[in-house]
Amino acid sequence: MNGHLSEDKLINYAFDLGSQRQTRAIEAHLQGCAECRGQLEAIRGRFAVLDVLSEDIAVSEALSARVLAEVWGESAADARESATDARQGAGDARDCVVNRGGRRWAAPAWMGIAAGLLVIASVLVINERWKADGVQKKAVSGPQIGGDGGEHTASPEPVFGGAAKGLVAAGAPAELASAGHGVQAEERPPFAPASAIELVVLPRRENVQLTIYNSADLTLVRERRNLTLKKGWNWLQFMWANTLIDPTSLSLEPLEHKDKIEVQQLVYPARLKEIGRWLIRSEVEGQAPFEITYFTSGLSWRAFYMGTLSADEKTMQLNGYVRVDNHSGEEYENAQTRVIVGQVHLLDQIAELARRPYPYGSPIATDMGMMGGMGGFGGGLGMDKGVRYNWFADGDIDRDGVDLYDLNFDALQAIRKVEKEGLSEYFLYTIEGTDTIPNEWGKRLPSFTVDEVAVENLYKYDETRWGTETVRFVSFKNDADHNLGETPLPEGSVRIYRRAGEDGALAYTGGTEFKYIPVNEKAELNLGAARYVRVEPVLMESRTDHYQFDRNGNIDGWDEVQTWKVAVTNTREIGVKVEVFRDFGTPYWDIENSGQFDAFEKEDMDTVKFTVEAPARSKREFVYVLTTHQGTRREAVK
Amino acid sequence: MLRYLYRTTGNRQTAEDLFQETFRRVHEKANSFNGNNFRSWLYAIATNLAINEFRKRKRRPEISLEHIAESKNAKCENGNCQFVETLTANEKTEPGAQILREELKTRVWAAVNSLPAKQRLTLVMAYYQQMKYSEIADVLGCSTGAVKTHMFRALKHLRRVLPDGPGGAL
Repeated sequence: MNGHLSEDKLINYAFDLGSQRQTRAIEAHLQGCAECRGQLEAIRGRFAVLDVLSEDIAVSEALSARVLAEVWGESAADARESATDARQGAGDARDCVVNRGGRRWAAPAWMGIAAGLLVIASVLVINERWKADGVQKKAVSGPQIGGDGGEHTASPEPVFGGAAKGLVAAGAPAELASAGHGVQAEERPPFAPASAIELVVLPRRENVQLTIYNSADLTLVRERRNLTLKKGWNWLQFMWANTLIDPTSLSLEPLEHKDKIEVQQLVYPARLKEIGRWLIRSEVEGQAPFEITYFTSGLSWRAFYMGTLSADEKTMQLNGYVRVDNHSGEEYENAQTRVIVGQVHLLDQIAELARRPYPYGSPIATDMGMMGGMGGFGGGLGMDKGVRYNWFADGDIDRDGVDLYDLNFDALQAIRKVEKEGLSEYFLYTIEGTDTIPNEWGKRLPSFTVDEVAVENLYKYDETRWGTETVRFVSFKNDADHNLGETPLPEGSVRIYRRAGEDGALAYTGGTEFKYIPVNEKAELNLGAARYVRVEPVLMESRTDHYQFDRNGNIDGWDEVQTWKVAVTNTREIGVKVEVFRDFGTPYWDIENSGQFDAFEKEDMDTVKFTVEAPARSKREFVYVLTTHQGTRREAVK
Repeated sequence: MLRYLYRTTGNRQTAEDLFQETFRRVHEKANSFNGNNFRSWLYAIATNLAINEFRKRKRRPEISLEHIAESKNAKCENGNCQFVETLTANEKTEPGAQILREELKTRVWAAVNSLPAKQRLTLVMAYYQQMKYSEIADVLGCSTGAVKTHMFRALKHLRRVLPDGPGGAL
């Protein structure tokens, strides 16, 4: 080949338009000609601009629906026609071909069927691509009511609060899934949920149960919904847009027909955010209850208490409440709420919760009545008089082996006695009944009421802690003697009122926060400074004594002797108990007491406690002489 | 398939109509499929529809929508198309580059659409759909050599009329 390659030849080579012989010749030339190689690159670069039109274009939802409607519509018509032909019966195959006449190909029937299936398959593939966009749009925009071509039907009851999340059950296309009722379901799952199929927005949840773990901003949600399944393959779509649901924790389980319904897989479709689809194979048709569990964040709870003292302040009615705040992005209607008290080692414990087997198999699937005998609920925490408890508490499986995590909403309506075994470091409280907790709302739920908790009114005076003010406490013990004691009391705030007057009016007495109160532990509610009970210590005399001297005649040891008079004044109309703490600032002390006090005890090495029972409108005084040893006197006394 | 029809007709609406019609005909003529090469058969149906469309246009010329208005950034309602900003992450950083790219697309489309029907169909099938020349020959019902000739002529023409690149030559 002489000279350089022409532009035409380079174009032919670049686009493989020449013969094999020409191509080989050009390749041979290019190997030895840098200039032509450069020209070839320039030509390729010239046409590279064509690539700007390589952008993908999506098949619109409407177009796909149109095509499917047209193709499947005709398919249905053909099927009807075939059926008619079949009923006519007598005609043989050759007649059929003749009757249909005018066809250029007398190809075997399977070819036509295969071609048709290929078309449908390609339509489905394309269809899935646009569905990716379409579904995402739906997920963000709100309740999922399927939308193409008017072929979808909406449930009469929309998903409650469905702005955030929804479930859409999608049966396979009628032609694929039902393929004649009474026929075994296809073994091969559909490639993907087709679009022009019946989409049904599920009815609202049947039940939902929330277990809120405050220590890790985590809530276990278990909900029950009735899905309407078709025989064959079904797709269930779960969307969690705008919620704090952990998609990796999603789980779905049929509660009935377990041998006939199989949840095969959960897929997270590519390019779709916040959507998961379960593939369900069902041998039955119609409604079936399912339980869906998952974890979410954004739910928290806090305990509140209200105490109402009797007029004589010897007993208190104690009401417990739980305030649940929902910022999870999801609304929970008629939710049974359970709260976990105590620090749960979540990595282990929650995984355990998720894996925990039913003690007798799934209670809902087998025998709902079985739950009637199970222990566990509210039941007054083992107390009887004057107690109305709605909580039940548990740390684990109770003594009867009943799993309190079982979800049985009917059974929960009944009051049952708790046989509890404290096997764990945490407690589970279930609040009786159900409540709706809308998103971004807080809701205070009543949790328990105990009418008569014996309380002790106590006033304390301790200069090292509260200065010169007397502080009031209401104390009680979390045990059976106080109509409590079955469960620890969760940390929370408390407001104390007192009945005042014959008409039952309430007077605010004080409020405080308290920490978690374990069983059999004493609870002291600090109600703040008291005005009607005063403690006034007065130093009456101070002197030094018992000097000791070193070899140089300097003082190196002595005693300080102080005489204190303490006056306790009670201006209230009821008698009160006052504890007066005196801190001496040194462990080397002696004391002589005299006067009107009822008890004296050493609190710690440098503190003593005088207890004074002060009747109504009274003043009591006592005197103590304190001797503290200084310097070498400490050794001498020891 | 929709991409193919879109690139041959240059009009989204027309492409969609032909897309629908293609699958209707595929279904209708399923029994006439000879079982050899489904893709060629499918493309042949689509191509015939496209050629018919070109003929119609010759008789009744119509102004196609601007490519920009037909692009993914266009939102059309009742025939009125409005350019909608849907910048991708990269484009957000370089809005100027996006404008130049849209302009380039328009000019490339103009160049492709200036090709005669068979050359355009050949180019679209060979370049964009990555079909073999023999397959294209099946679709167009001609010899492979004829397809190559169409392709060569199309490329020669485009060599002259294609723009240089984004923003044109400096």
